[in-house]
Amino acid sequence: MISLPVVLVAAGLMFAIGLYGVLGQTNTIMVMMGVELMLGAAMLNVVGFLRYSWPDATSGAFFVLILMTLMAVEAAVGFALVISAFRHSRTAEIDDMHELKG
Amino acid sequence: MSDLTPFVVLAVALVGAGCAALLEQVVSGLRVSPQAVLTSVSRTLRQPLRAPQVRDGWLYHLAPGLLLVAAVAALAFVPWAPGFRGIDLSTGAIGFAAALAYVTPAVFMAGWGAGRALTVLGAFRWLALMLAYAMPLAMVITAVAAPAGSLRPSDIVEVQHAVPMALVQPLALALWVPAALAVCFLAPFDVAHCDEELGGGVFSEYRGLDAALVALARRVLLVAVSGMTVVLFFSGWHGPLLPAAVWMVAKTAAVAAGMLWMGGRVPRMEIDRALELAWKVANPLALVAIVWAGLVTLLFYR
Amino acid sequence: MSDLATALVFWPAVAIMLVTGVYVFRTASMARAGLLLLASLGIEGLVFLALASEFLGVLQLLMMSGEMVIMVFFMVMFMPDPGGLMGMDMTHDKRRSASLAVAVGIGLAVVAVLTDWPARVVGRDAPDVRAIGFEVMGRSMLTFLFAAMTILFAMVGGVLLAKHGGRFAQIGAAGKGEA
Repeated sequence: MISLPVVLVAAGLMFAIGLYGVLGQTNTIMVMMGVELMLGAAMLNVVGFLRYSWPDATSGAFFVLILMTLMAVEAAVGFALVISAFRHSRTAEIDDMHELKG
Repeated sequence: MSDLTPFVVLAVALVGAGCAALLEQVVSGLRVSPQAVLTSVSRTLRQPLRAPQVRDGWLYHLAPGLLLVAAVAALAFVPWAPGFRGIDLSTGAIGFAAALAYVTPAVFMAGWGAGRALTVLGAFRWLALMLAYAMPLAMVITAVAAPAGSLRPSDIVEVQHAVPMALVQPLALALWVPAALAVCFLAPFDVAHCDEELGGGVFSEYRGLDAALVALARRVLLVAVSGMTVVLFFSGWHGPLLPAAVWMVAKTAAVAAGMLWMGGRVPRMEIDRALELAWKVANPLALVAIVWAGLVTLLFYR
Repeated sequence: MSDLATALVFWPAVAIMLVTGVYVFRTASMARAGLLLLASLGIEGLVFLALASEFLGVLQLLMMSGEMVIMVFFMVMFMPDPGGLMGMDMTHDKRRSASLAVAVGIGLAVVAVLTDWPARVVGRDAPDVRAIGFEVMGRSMLTFLFAAMTILFAMVGGVLLAKHGGRFAQIGAAGKGEA
């Protein structure tokens, strides 16, 4: 039986997977993947609430739209930073990036 | 939506792919013979499968399946007659674009999984091309949906009962055609799998069942895109005298034949040129098309 | 959709979503990791559809395809071993991050199950595309404009950061520097 707690548990697990990626991965792009998974979990949460608690809340659906925008923006800026860092230090590994100064 | 819908969609896909294969014979000036199509299919199926010697080789066998799923899903959004369609979503036009979007990962998987320099090159070319042309495609769909006030394909057909959208929004049609040709792997945008430059490109390694699935998926894709072109621009099933489905099929065949005809005669575009055309010309013009759609909607469709 | 059809989509989709999500970080090949992430987030779109959020589900399917394919492309560009031939390890702090993630996951699940959520209306469809449209063009117009500006800034900033010489390059000298 599908219900709100089921959806929320799934979203929570997805968030945890994303968190593992962000903390445990050494490559910048893998970290970004973790962030995307966490944002996806947030979207799943909102959709669950839309379905089971506040079906008339259009602002919830709108919030998911904003989250999708955020994912795109995060990817764009992240990739630009990775290109920039790679050009500077020839690596995309987080452990090798010690300083912020370009 | 009944329980039989998936089977109906599959049947439409198979029949449509067969007709598309016959249409290819007509357009390329060969003698029309279903026999030849069947022979070539059975010859392909008898070939042994090929297993690429790379770690990601399983992607190579998964790609034709994903390609076929994407093509059939796109086809399912096309309404063939009032009430006769696979998936009836109130956002069907976007659903069509979403289904087409999965052609790109499939092609990437095919090229990357085969593990040859030329297949990977073809996959990267396809990626660049599709990223460039997905935007005009989506924006044109939005523009055409605006007068209907709905993203449901059957509503978009109904709003064209008097005037087809091709006459109302010619700019949108002009932007749609190159994008449609690109999605269908047709010239002048066949940069990812061309024989002359890349020796077959992304699909060059496929043999046997894999090759047959790729060929089938490409035909289904052609039918789906031509069908959606008719729905969006040529007033779908509307037409005098004949029944609705007949009009729809006839128009789809005409559009598919036109696309194949063009694909056989236009020289291939260089990938740089094709990308420049998309980013510098098609994308800005798509914004103009959306503004035009808004004007037309406010003036004539309220 | 009927309850049965919804359940037939929902449960496998959620399972595949989570499993592919885990395997994103357990594979050594970049192309594989990116495609698994695409599978995870794309199938989340199917979950949205099963939860009757039609517009959001279709949009999720559409957006994730493009975004994740770009991600795969960048992965192949920037990884030392894109083909995963050597099976290199790409993790640090493995045990601590894994245990923290498990703890957070269990915590969230417990909260989700134990809290008495307000389930006012059960099984009504989420707002349709028309309602979302009026929301975007009405009450949330300002927010939406901010999102649009954010995208614009991200585009300009991204190009500036990524071009030859970075953001300090002189105009006119761009492209002359070493890559």
